[in-house]
Amino acid sequence: MSSATPNDPFSRLTAHADSPSDGPADPPMQVDYRGTQGPLFRLGLKTALLTLVTLGLYRFWAKTRVRKYFWSATAPGGDPMEYTGNGLEKLLGFLIAVAFLAVYLGLFQLLLMFAGLSLLSGSGSGQDTALQIAASQATLVAVFPFIFYAQYRARRYILSRTRWRGVRFGVEPAAWGYVWRATGHWILTILSLGLLLPRQTFLLEKYKIDRTWYGNARFVQHGRWQSLYPAMKHYFIAAAAIAIPALLAASNGQPVWLVLTFFGALWFYYAVIYYSVASFRIMAGTKRLGNTVQFSATPRGAKVFWTYVLGGLLSSTCAGMVFTAFFIVAGNFLGSSDLFAVEDLSEFGGLADFGLAEAIGIFMVFLGYIMMLVLYGVFALIFVRQPILEHYVQETQILNPAALDDIQQRSRDEMVEAEGFADALDVGAAI
Amino acid sequence: MEVNEPARGKYFDGVSARQHQVAVHRDHQHGTEVLVIRRDSGADILWPVSELREVTDQARDEGIVLTQGQDGIARLILPHGPAEHIIRVISPNLGKVSVSGSKMRQLFLWAGGAVASVLIIMVVILPSLANQLATMIPPEREAALGRTALSQISTFLGGDLEEMTCDRPAGIRALRKMTARIVGEAEVPYDLKVAVFDHDMINAFAVPGGQVVLFRGLIDAAQSPEEVAGVLGHEVGHVVHRDPTRLMLRSAGSVGILGMVFGDFAGGALALVLAEQMISAKYSQQAETGADVFAHKRLAAAGLPADSFAQFFLTLREEHGDTAGFMSHLASHPDLQGRADAARAADAIGDGPFTPVLTPSEWRALQQVCG
Repeated sequence: MSSATPNDPFSRLTAHADSPSDGPADPPMQVDYRGTQGPLFRLGLKTALLTLVTLGLYRFWAKTRVRKYFWSATAPGGDPMEYTGNGLEKLLGFLIAVAFLAVYLGLFQLLLMFAGLSLLSGSGSGQDTALQIAASQATLVAVFPFIFYAQYRARRYILSRTRWRGVRFGVEPAAWGYVWRATGHWILTILSLGLLLPRQTFLLEKYKIDRTWYGNARFVQHGRWQSLYPAMKHYFIAAAAIAIPALLAASNGQPVWLVLTFFGALWFYYAVIYYSVASFRIMAGTKRLGNTVQFSATPRGAKVFWTYVLGGLLSSTCAGMVFTAFFIVAGNFLGSSDLFAVEDLSEFGGLADFGLAEAIGIFMVFLGYIMMLVLYGVFALIFVRQPILEHYVQETQILNPAALDDIQQRSRDEMVEAEGFADALDVGAAI
Repeated sequence: MEVNEPARGKYFDGVSARQHQVAVHRDHQHGTEVLVIRRDSGADILWPVSELREVTDQARDEGIVLTQGQDGIARLILPHGPAEHIIRVISPNLGKVSVSGSKMRQLFLWAGGAVASVLIIMVVILPSLANQLATMIPPEREAALGRTALSQISTFLGGDLEEMTCDRPAGIRALRKMTARIVGEAEVPYDLKVAVFDHDMINAFAVPGGQVVLFRGLIDAAQSPEEVAGVLGHEVGHVVHRDPTRLMLRSAGSVGILGMVFGDFAGGALALVLAEQMISAKYSQQAETGADVFAHKRLAAAGLPADSFAQFFLTLREEHGDTAGFMSHLASHPDLQGRADAARAADAIGDGPFTPVLTPSEWRALQQVCG
């Protein structure tokens, strides 16, 4: 590991990147976050409206520009990261993915619908509805391998377009290996009722991190998967909070205990977030770049949880107020006409005809609805995503940073397909 | 920024991760204006002013981030101040984005591939597969599906299925008589059921499994029982051709694809609805024409004039106007005038005598089936 290894196809320069620095003082490097609400809101709104008027075409550029903003707001040691992706290559990657996936997805969904129909008992009962839902969920299972593939490639694309101090990050192409490992780990985790989740999290992270490079220096994930069990503690609490009252209710026949399981279910949401934050913290502590550079991250589960809850509430309140405003205006046009006479299945008549006032009214309601969705995304950017990113970034430190100065550039990973598969399957990174 | 007064900035050479403190000034060399970037050690770096590009959408508002050419990997960061101002004035191409011809060719090629792939699956494969599969689903399963759809529709119209269904015995008897006359010898793959919904809409529909529903508004608007009989024939046509089931299978496939193409964004959802409407309309206009032809045939076989069926379209047109032009692509039904003309052309009776489908008292009973 002291220099670029032969199995890194992108290593070009074989400098002594990982030689330990021998300077006496090497204080930890802080990571600044300098993003602010105003400019991000304007950027988010502008790109969301452009996406709206282009019927979604601009979304590749919108996502790229927001990423550029977040990246440049993050500055380890005061030097900003840079995102160098562009919308055009994202669009191209998407078109490539569509060309491949359209046939597969179309056939798949139709056959599932057929299977779902054939499963119906004929009684028209709730059981039928459940079967139909199960059939539609089966679609997900069939695209799982594609999702893992897409996720690995999306990560590779994003990191290949990420730079700090002018030097590129990079990921080795190993998506298929990830697909079968991820599939296997998921099956094991499910069979073990979740008890092997830390093993899955750690080994998949290790697979990804050990193939990740900064310039000609390689990241390695050290540590053991067993050390992730403390991150699971809220899962255990939630499980107990559901199981114990349920058992009590069953044993002494008093269903009033079941009310308590409701709180257990709520606790479960906290457990999901706590696990992701705590496992990040634990694994960050055992990551290493080159021989000497290490990391320390101390994000807090409670902080992230409440940012999601309160930021989400705030975003929906703001977006809801906009919709209400549109709805009030629309009410003036609509009066009492029959708004919801919409066509269904194979009807007989033609399109119903409205007066101009009704048409404007309906358009206003429709526009309000669309604006609500658009603005929710923009508000969530400043009330949820940025605060969470900011928390993670500010709680991260780079230890022994002196060796970073010696890291050399790596060559560009062209990746024509970009993150097209992730875009097509809509499983891309959160940011 | 002049030779004697350089600006201080940070420079990353794109080769190593080391940060360089640099002094930058402006100079002329070989007739072109250049930025001279001077490091502590090593040769000066020269960037022609015409090649300067600004890195955009930066969050950290501490200056201007520059690069040489669109794909340059070195970065020069200058703080806000006179230097930034001068660079903005003298650099003509700071915001220029150029796309190479080969990139565009690649883009068009793949756009063509993506469009072809989507079109083939949606226009050719899915419809024909849906037609095949629709005949393989057992009728009782379809009937279950139809019942679910029916209760959803009645909820949507704001009522309970039981309450909305009209059940005056005399009216129901008249409806049975009309149905028997229209269906005649035709082969129906299901146990055909016809009901009337107590609703003002001038409409009728069929759901999977042989269930046909007429709205009270349609019976009210009809001027003779033969007009209602024509509409009934049309809906029975849908039932016989298994149109509702085929449509459902086909849209299950295409919605997935369209969702992928447009993404889950709000604007995408809008485009999704429009596109799905457009495609299903084209497909269902075929189905509608087929159902009309079936109605014409049944009317003729039952010894009834198709003229009243045509008359009903004209009544609809007077009340609602026609859907021509762009809207006709979105409407799932062919234009009304065209349908009326087709009905007239298929008329086997003309002005000749015929046995009315219902007696005057039966017709009154049907008109009052909802009480």
